[in-house]
Amino acid sequence: MEYEIKTEGQYTILMISGEVDLYYSPRAREQILKHLGDKKHLLVDLSGVEYIDSSGVASLVEGLQLAKSSQLEFGLIGVSDAAMQVLQLARLDKVFPIHASVSERLDSNK
Amino acid sequence: MSADAALKTIKPSDLPSPPQAAIEIMRACSTREPRTRELSRIASSDPQLTAEILRVVNSPFFGMANKIQSIPRAVTVLGQRALRSLVLCISVRDSMSGREIPGFDTTQYWEDALRRAVAARMLGQLVRLDPDECFTAGLLQDFGMLVMIYLQPEWAGMWSELHQQDPVSRYSLERDTFENTHDNVIKVLSKAWSLPEDLALALGSHHHCDDVVMQEEQSKLCKILYSSDWMAAVFSASDKNLVLDQCRELPNECLGISQDKVDEILAAMPEQVAEAASALGLHVTQQQDFEQIMRDANVRLVEENTTYQELTWKLEKALKERDRLAEELNKELELAREIQQSLQPKDGGDDFPLTGINIAAKELSGDFYDFFSLPDGRIYFNIGDVSGKGVYAALLMAKTISLFHCLGKQIHDPGILLSQINDEICETSIRGMFITMIAGLYNPKTGNVSLVNAGNPPALVLKADGKVGAFEADAPPIGVVPGAEFTKKELNLKGGSLYMFSDGVSEGRTASGEMLGIRGFMKMILKLNKLAPKEQLKKIVGFFQQSSEPIRDDITVLLLRDHHGK
Repeated sequence: MEYEIKTEGQYTILMISGEVDLYYSPRAREQILKHLGDKKHLLVDLSGVEYIDSSGVASLVEGLQLAKSSQLEFGLIGVSDAAMQVLQLARLDKVFPIHASVSERLDSNK
Repeated sequence: MSADAALKTIKPSDLPSPPQAAIEIMRACSTREPRTRELSRIASSDPQLTAEILRVVNSPFFGMANKIQSIPRAVTVLGQRALRSLVLCISVRDSMSGREIPGFDTTQYWEDALRRAVAARMLGQLVRLDPDECFTAGLLQDFGMLVMIYLQPEWAGMWSELHQQDPVSRYSLERDTFENTHDNVIKVLSKAWSLPEDLALALGSHHHCDDVVMQEEQSKLCKILYSSDWMAAVFSASDKNLVLDQCRELPNECLGISQDKVDEILAAMPEQVAEAASALGLHVTQQQDFEQIMRDANVRLVEENTTYQELTWKLEKALKERDRLAEELNKELELAREIQQSLQPKDGGDDFPLTGINIAAKELSGDFYDFFSLPDGRIYFNIGDVSGKGVYAALLMAKTISLFHCLGKQIHDPGILLSQINDEICETSIRGMFITMIAGLYNPKTGNVSLVNAGNPPALVLKADGKVGAFEADAPPIGVVPGAEFTKKELNLKGGSLYMFSDGVSEGRTASGEMLGIRGFMKMILKLNKLAPKEQLKKIVGFFQQSSEPIRDDITVLLLRDHHGK
C-alpha cells in the first residue's frame, strides 16, 4: 500500500493505492485519523486500490464515524472496481458519500 | 596515495636535511674504499658532528667503549656500513630537534622509534643481517609520520590516537588524516638524502613487503621492519591482545622466528631502548616491563571473556523469558479458542435442520454462526464476520453472539433484533469495527424463513427443483450506521436448502490460485447438495484446504436444510 496527500481548497485528499489489507490498513487508519484530528475535511481517493479487506473498510468506517462526531466531511473519491465490489457487497456503498472525482465534489459546492 | 602522488604533495625542500658533513660522510662510506684523507677533511669541517659521532660510536650500546678517536679509525674498526648507519641515526635525530609542535609528544615518538629500532636490531641478529643497519632502518621506518606532522601541524592533535593504534589501523588513520602515508614520505626522503638503494626500498615498502620484487636480503630487511613495527606496538597500542597475537605470528611466518624468540626479544626491548636512548642522547621515560604488559593483557582477556559470558548468560535468560511468555500467550490463546468454540452451537444431530462449520485462519476466528430453538419450535440462526482478525475480532464476535442469543429469546423478529444489536454495537464499537451478518428465523413446520442480510455475502437458496436464488444484502453491516433499519424478507424453502457463508468462502482460492467467487460456490453446492449436510460442509472446507496457498481468511458455512414437504 502507498499513499499521497494533497490539498484542494478546504479538503485534504488522501490518495491510497495498492492492497489495503490487515497488514497495511493500520497505516491508512493512521493517516485518516491524523487529518480528521487536524480538523480537516477529508476525501479518500481509492482509485488506485487493487484490494481492500474488511480491516481496510473498518478504517474507512472509523473515519466516517469520527468525521460525523466532529462535524467534518468525509467522502470517497474515484472508488476503484475492486473496492467498489467490496463496498457494494456489504451495502456500504449507500453509507459512504462517494464522488467520481475531487472536482465533482468541489463543483457541487458551487 | 601512490609514491608519485606523494612526490607531488611533498617537495624535497619541505623535508628536513642533515648537516652537509653528515651527507658527505654517508656518501664517502658508500664507496668501495673510503679514503682516509677525505674522511679526515670532512670530520675537520664539522667538529661538533665529529665529536657526536665518536661519542655514539664509543657508547656501550654500539659496543666500542672508548676505543675510537677519529672518523677514519671508525671506518677501519666498525666498517663503512656501520659508520654510515650511525651517522644516519644521528642525522635523523637532529633533523627535527628544536621544533616543538603543540599536541605532539616528541619523547613518545622517539620511544616508539627506538622500540622499532631495537626490535629490528635483534631480529636482524637472528637472521644474520647487519644489526646496525637494521637498527637504523627501524629508527627511520616511521620517520615519514614525524615529517607529516611537522608539515601539517594542524593534525598534531591526532598523535595520541595514532600512537595507540596497531600498525595496520595507524596506517589507514594516517591516510584518512594526512591523505598520505609514512612509507610514501620516506620514499621522497630517501631520494633527498641519497640513502642507499636497498635501505630505501625496504623503508618504502615495509607495509607491502610481498607486493614488491626484492632481493633476498632486501626482502628480509623489509619483513624485519614490518615485524618490528608490530613488536613495538605491544608497548604502545591500546589493544594489547590483538597486537600480541599478530607480532608472535608474523616473524614466525615471514622470517621463521619462533614465538619463544619473539617473547625473548619483547622482554629485552625495554632495557635495550633505554641503552640505545642513552647512546643516541635521546630522552625516554621509564620503560614498561613486558611481563607487566602480559599480565595486564591476560587480565583484560579474562575481563572480556567474563563480559562475553555475562552477555551469553543474559541472552539465554532473555530467550527463556521470551519462550515462557510465548508459552503463556499460547495458553491464553488456547483458552480463548476454547471459550470461542463453546459459543458455537452444539451439533443438533443428523435430523436437525441446521449444520455449520467454522475454520479459523489464525488462532482466533472473527467469523461465527449460531442457532437455537425457541419454545414454539422455530429456530433462530445467524452467521457473521467481524472486520479484521485476532483478539479484537474474537471479542466483538463474542459480544455479538451473546447479544443475539440473549435478545433473540425475547425478540422474535430478526429485523428488530438486528436493529437492537446494531444500536448496541454502534454505541460501544471502536476502530470502525463492524460485523457483516445474516440472521433468520426458520419454522420447521412450514418451511418459512424470515431473513435479514446486513452486509454479508448473499444467502443462496437451492430449491428442491434445482433452481438457485440469491438473497443479497439490503442493509449495511452491524455497527456502522446508528439507528439503521434492517428489513426482513420472507421466503419458503419448500424442501430446499439455504446456504450462508462468510467472504472467506467466496474470496477463497481454488487449487489453481483463482478466487472461487459466488458463482463458483453456487456450482459447488449444485454438485454437493445430494450429500448429507455434514458431508457437504466437510467437502467445502476440504476444497480450500487442498489449495497450495494457506487459508488467508476464516471460512464459515451454515447450511439450513428444510425437511418440510419431504
